[in-house]
Amino acid sequence: MLDSVMPFFTLAQSSAPGPFETVTLNHYLFVSAAMFALGVIGFLTRRNLIIMFLCTELMFQAAGIAMIAFARYWLNADGQTFVIFVLTVAAAEAALALALVVLLFRKRETLSAEAWGELKG
Amino acid sequence: MPTTLTSLHAGLEQLLGTGVLAADKIGPAPDLAAVAEGPSWALGIILLPLLGAVLNALCAIFGVKNKLPAWISVGSIGAAFVLVLMLLMDQGAAGRTVAVGYEWISFSWGDGPGQSFNANFGVYLDSLTIFWMLFVTGLATLIALYASEYMSHDVGTGYCRFFFAFCLFVFSMACLVMGDNLILLFLGWEGVGLCSYLLIGYFYKKPAAVAASKKAFVVNRIGDLGLLLGIFLTFAHFGTVEYRELFPLVQPYVEALKQGDLASIPFRVQLIPVLLMIGAFGKSAQLPLYVWLPDAMEGPTPVSALIHAATMVTAGVYLIARTYPLFLCSEWALPVVAWVGALTALLSATIGMAQFDIKRIMAYSTVSQLGYMFCGLAVLSSTGGAFHVLTHAFFKATLFLCCGAVMHGFAGQLDLRKLSGVAFMKGWGIVGIAMFVGCLNLAGFPFTAGYFSKDLILAESFVTGGMAPIGWILLLTAGLTAYYTFRVFFRVFVGPEHYEPGDELHDDHGEEHGADHSEDAHAHFHPHAPGWAINAVLTILAVASIAAAGLYFVGGDEYAKNWPSKMIGQSTAYQVQGDHGAAAGFLTDSLGDHGHGDEEAQAGDEATAHGSFFGYDPHKVMYYVSAVVGAIGIFIAAFLHGPKGLMGLIVGGRTEAEVSRADDLKSAIAPVAHLAERKWMVDELYGLIIVKPLLVLSHIFHLIDKMIVDGLVILAGLIPRLFGSAVRPAQSGELHGYATGMAAGIAMLIIIGIVVMAGGGIG
Amino acid sequence: MHPVILYALLALGAVGVALAMPRRTLNVQLIGGLIAAVAGGGAVLALTLAGLDALPNLHFYAFAFIALASALRMITHPRPVYAALYFILTILASAGLYLILSAEFMAFALIIIYAGAILITYLFVIMLATQAPSEERLDVLSDYDAEARSPVLATIVGFVLLGALTSMIFSGASSLPSVDVEAAAARDEAQLALLPRRIEEGLRKADLLEDDETLIMDPEDAYRVLIEIEPVPGGEDRRVVFVDERSGPDRAIELPADLRIRNVETLAFNFLNAHPGTIEIAGIILMMAMLGAVVLSRKQVQLDEEAKAEQTAALARMAEGGGPDA
Repeated sequence: MLDSVMPFFTLAQSSAPGPFETVTLNHYLFVSAAMFALGVIGFLTRRNLIIMFLCTELMFQAAGIAMIAFARYWLNADGQTFVIFVLTVAAAEAALALALVVLLFRKRETLSAEAWGELKG
Repeated sequence: MPTTLTSLHAGLEQLLGTGVLAADKIGPAPDLAAVAEGPSWALGIILLPLLGAVLNALCAIFGVKNKLPAWISVGSIGAAFVLVLMLLMDQGAAGRTVAVGYEWISFSWGDGPGQSFNANFGVYLDSLTIFWMLFVTGLATLIALYASEYMSHDVGTGYCRFFFAFCLFVFSMACLVMGDNLILLFLGWEGVGLCSYLLIGYFYKKPAAVAASKKAFVVNRIGDLGLLLGIFLTFAHFGTVEYRELFPLVQPYVEALKQGDLASIPFRVQLIPVLLMIGAFGKSAQLPLYVWLPDAMEGPTPVSALIHAATMVTAGVYLIARTYPLFLCSEWALPVVAWVGALTALLSATIGMAQFDIKRIMAYSTVSQLGYMFCGLAVLSSTGGAFHVLTHAFFKATLFLCCGAVMHGFAGQLDLRKLSGVAFMKGWGIVGIAMFVGCLNLAGFPFTAGYFSKDLILAESFVTGGMAPIGWILLLTAGLTAYYTFRVFFRVFVGPEHYEPGDELHDDHGEEHGADHSEDAHAHFHPHAPGWAINAVLTILAVASIAAAGLYFVGGDEYAKNWPSKMIGQSTAYQVQGDHGAAAGFLTDSLGDHGHGDEEAQAGDEATAHGSFFGYDPHKVMYYVSAVVGAIGIFIAAFLHGPKGLMGLIVGGRTEAEVSRADDLKSAIAPVAHLAERKWMVDELYGLIIVKPLLVLSHIFHLIDKMIVDGLVILAGLIPRLFGSAVRPAQSGELHGYATGMAAGIAMLIIIGIVVMAGGGIG
Repeated sequence: MHPVILYALLALGAVGVALAMPRRTLNVQLIGGLIAAVAGGGAVLALTLAGLDALPNLHFYAFAFIALASALRMITHPRPVYAALYFILTILASAGLYLILSAEFMAFALIIIYAGAILITYLFVIMLATQAPSEERLDVLSDYDAEARSPVLATIVGFVLLGALTSMIFSGASSLPSVDVEAAAARDEAQLALLPRRIEEGLRKADLLEDDETLIMDPEDAYRVLIEIEPVPGGEDRRVVFVDERSGPDRAIELPADLRIRNVETLAFNFLNAHPGTIEIAGIILMMAMLGAVVLSRKQVQLDEEAKAEQTAALARMAEGGGPDA
C-alpha cells in the first residue's frame, strides 16, 4: 500500500525513471499552457517595456516546462537539450532587449511601450 | 517638218558620232546566279564612315572646339570614295561578287530550302552598287568639305553633332546600297531615315525644324511599313532575303512573263513589288508621301543638298533598281510606278513655279525630278532612271549649295523677291556661274548632263507601249522645270543689285548675331561672300555637272552605247536593255492599248518594234523636242522675270528687283496662282482627311481610355483603398495592438486546427 | 472531464485575472486573484479526478500552485521590481517541477542561469531605467505601471488561447502512441556500458570488486564494458560483467540493481553525443548577443526634443521647489 502511495510524496525520482501516465503528462501541460497564457496576458496588458520582456521570459518558461514534461514522458533527453537552447535564447534576448530598453529609456525618459508608436499606419 | 527634223538629225549625228543617238542593241542578260567571292576590303567602304562617326562622337565627348570633326568626316568619307574607285578599277561593270564581313543573323529550323534565315553583314558588289556608291561617297566628301565652312558658326556647339550624323548617314547609306540582303538594306534604310530626322531637326530650338523632322519621320514610317511587309513577303515566298539566292529564284517568273504567261506567277509574288514600292515612295517623296521633303529644307543646307536632294531620296529609286526582277514579275507594279512618278513630277513642278523661297523651289524640283527617275524605271529605262539619279545628284547638289551660299551670305534670306543681281556682287562670281550651270542642267539645256539623262527617260516613255501619256506629262513637266529654274536664276542672280538681309529666323547661325537683328543691324548688314571651301566645292561640282554629260558618250561596248548603260545593263536592273518587244508587250497587255494607234499606222519599219513619236523614232527626235520645250520654258522665264538687257536675253521685263511681268500674269490668274502657292492645299487636304479624323479618333480613344480603362484602374485601386481605410485603425503603431492580433490569430489557428483536423474539441 | 466544465472554469479564471489587473480606480486585485486561484485549482482538480489511478506527485500541486500564483502576481504587480522578484519565484517553482520530472541538471541550471543571472540583469535594468521618485512621494507609480492596458480584451484573448491549447492537449494526449520502455532501457544499458569507471566505482562501493581486479572490455569495442544479460528463470534478468582476476581465472559478477545510468548522464549523452553541434550553436548565439549588446550600449543617445523640453521644465519646477509631478 505504502509503496504504491510513496511516489505521490517523494520529490526526487529514481534514476532511470519508469513510464509516465498520459494523465500525469496532461497536468504538466496544463500548467505550461496556463503559464503561457498568463505570459501572453501580461504582455498584452502591461505597458512597461521591462515587464513586457519579463512576460516573454514567462512564456519561454512555460515552453520549457512542456518540453521537460515531454522528455520525461518519452524517456528521452531531447526535450532537455532543447531547454538548454531556450535558456540560451532567453539569455541572449535579455542582453539585447535590455540594452535596447536602456537605449530607448535614455532617449525618451520613459519605459512606456506606447511612447514608441511610429509604426502607426 | 519631218524633213527638217531628219536633216537636223543627220547633222547632229555627225556632230556626236554615229550610233550615240540610236537605241541600245540587245545584249546578253547577265548571269545573276554567278556570284564570286568579293574583296573583303570593300567592307571598308561601309566601315570607314562608321569610324568617322565614332571619332566624331568621341570629339563630342571630349568637347573638341575646332574644325577637327569636319576633317575627320572629309577624310573618312574621302577614303571610302577612294575605295569605291578602286573597286571600279578592280571589278568594272561585269563582275558580281559578295564579300561577307561576318555572319550577322543565321539560324535554321530544318535542312530543306527555305528552312533557314540568313542575313550576313556582307556587301553585294555589282555595277549598280558601284555606280551608286560612286556618287554617294564622292558627293558626301565634297559636301562635307562645303559644310566645314558652312557650319563654322556652330564650331564648339553643334559641329560634332552635325558631322557625327553626317558620317552616320554615309554609313547607313552604304549599308543600304551595298548590303547583300534585304535585311541589311532595311537597316540602312532606317539608318538614313534616322540621320535624316536628326539632321532636319539639327536646329532643335527652331519649332519649324522640329516639326519638319517629326513630319519626315512619321511619313517615312508609313513607307517603311510597306517595305518591311515586302521583305516579309519576299522571305515568306522565296525563303531567302539574300540577293545572290533571291534573284536566281525570281528568274523563272521573269521568263514566264516574257512568254506572256501571267497566270503562272502567284499573286503574292506580284504583291511584293507593290509593297516595296510603298517604301520607295515614302523614302523618295512621291505621291502621296512627298509632303515631308519640302519641309525637310529646315535642316542645314549641306544636309538638304546631300540627303534630301542627291543621295537618300534616291534610295527608293535604288530599291526598285535593285529589285527590278521582282518588279518585272508583276503586271501592275511598273505602270503604277510610272503614273505615280509622272503625276508627282507634274504636281510638284506646278507648286515649284509658285513658290518664293528658293530652297523650297529646289525641294519641289527634287520631288519632281525624283518622279522622273521613277518614270525612267517604270518605262523600262533603268539606265535612264539611274543616269538621271547620277546627273541630278550633281546638279541638284550644285543648286542647293549655291542656295546655301546665298543663305549663308545674306543672313538667311531665301526670298527671291528680296534678292537680285547676286552673281555680279563682289566675290559671288563662282556662285553665280555654278548656279547657272546647275540651272542649265535642271532645265535640260542641250548638251548638258541633265539634258541627256532626261531625254533617255522621255524617249523611252514614248517607246514603251502604253506609256505615251506618261511621256506627254513628262514633256510638259520639262517645260515647267525650265521655267521655274530660270525664274530663280533671273530673279536672284542677275538684274539690278539689290538685297535685303534675312530676318535671321531662317538663319543657320542665329546664335552669332541673332540677338541684335534690329533695324540698325540691318542697315549695317554686308553680305559676306563665300570662302575658299565653298567656292572650291561649287567649282568642282559645276565642272562635274558638265562633265557628267561626257559619260553619255564614253565607255560603251558592243551592246551598250555608253558607260551608264553598260553599268546598269550588267546589274540586277538589266532586263530593260534591248528587250523592248517582249517586255513592252506585257505592259501593253496590262495597260490596254490606249495610246497612239494612229501614230503606229504612220510609223515606218523601225517603229514597228516599239512605239513612236508622231512617226519618228523617239530616241532620235526627243533630242529636239525636249530642247525646244526647255528653250520655251527658259524663254518664258526670261520674258517674265529676266532683267532688261542682255542677261534677260533682251526680252526681259524686270526693271526693279521686286517687280516683274509675272505679277500682272499672277493677278490675271490669281485663284490658280494662289492655290499653287499654297501647294495645291495638299497639306491642308491631308490635314482634313487624315490628321483630323485621326485626331477625332484619338480623342475618342482618349475618352475611352480616361473613362473606361482609367476608370477600371481607379476602381481597382479604390477597392483596396476602401478596405485599407477600413482596417487602417488596426495599425495603431502600438506594440500591444499587434501582439493582441498575433495571439488571437494563433488561438484561431489552433482552434481551426482542432476543428478541421481532429474533428472537434475534446474528445 | 466534460469540456463544458473546463471552458466554464477557464471563463471564471479569465474573470479573475481580469479583476486582478492593476487599476487606478477600484482595485480588486485580491478578489481577482482568489477567483483565478479557485478557477485554476478547479481545473487541476478536474484533471486529477479524470485520472485517479495515475496521480502526479504531491509536490507537483505545490509547485504548480506556487508557479502559477506567482506568475499571476508577476503580471499584475504594478511595481517592476516586485514583478521581477515574483518571476524569480516562478522560476524556483518551475525548477521544482523539473526536479519531479527527473531533470535535475536542468532544474539547477534554471536556477543558476535564470534566477541567478538573467533576472539579476533585469533587476539592474529596472533600477537603471526607472524615474527617480521625488522625495515627497516615494511610492508614486509611473502611469504606465499603474494601469493595465485594455485588460479585458487581453484576458479574453489569453484565455481563448488557453482554451484552444488545453483542448489540443486533451484531444492530442489521449491519442499519443505508447512509449517504448524496452528501447529506452536498452539505450540506458548501452550508455552505461560506455562508462567503465562508473561501473568499477559502483562495484567497489558494493565490495564486489577486489583492488587488483579490472573489468573486461568488449573485444569488439575497446571503449565498452562487456555486459551480458543472463536470463533467470522465473525472475528478472541478471546483468553480468566479467572481471580479470590476477591471481586466478576470470570471473563474472552480477551488477547491483541500483547501478544504473543517472539522469544527468543521459542528458550528457544526448547533449554531447546525439546533438554534437548544439553547444557550438548556442555559443555563437550568445556571442552575437554579446556583440550586439556592446554595440548598442556604446551608442551615444541624443534626447528627443520633446523629452529635452520636458526635462528642462521638470528641472525648472524642481528649482522652484515643486516635484516633477507638481
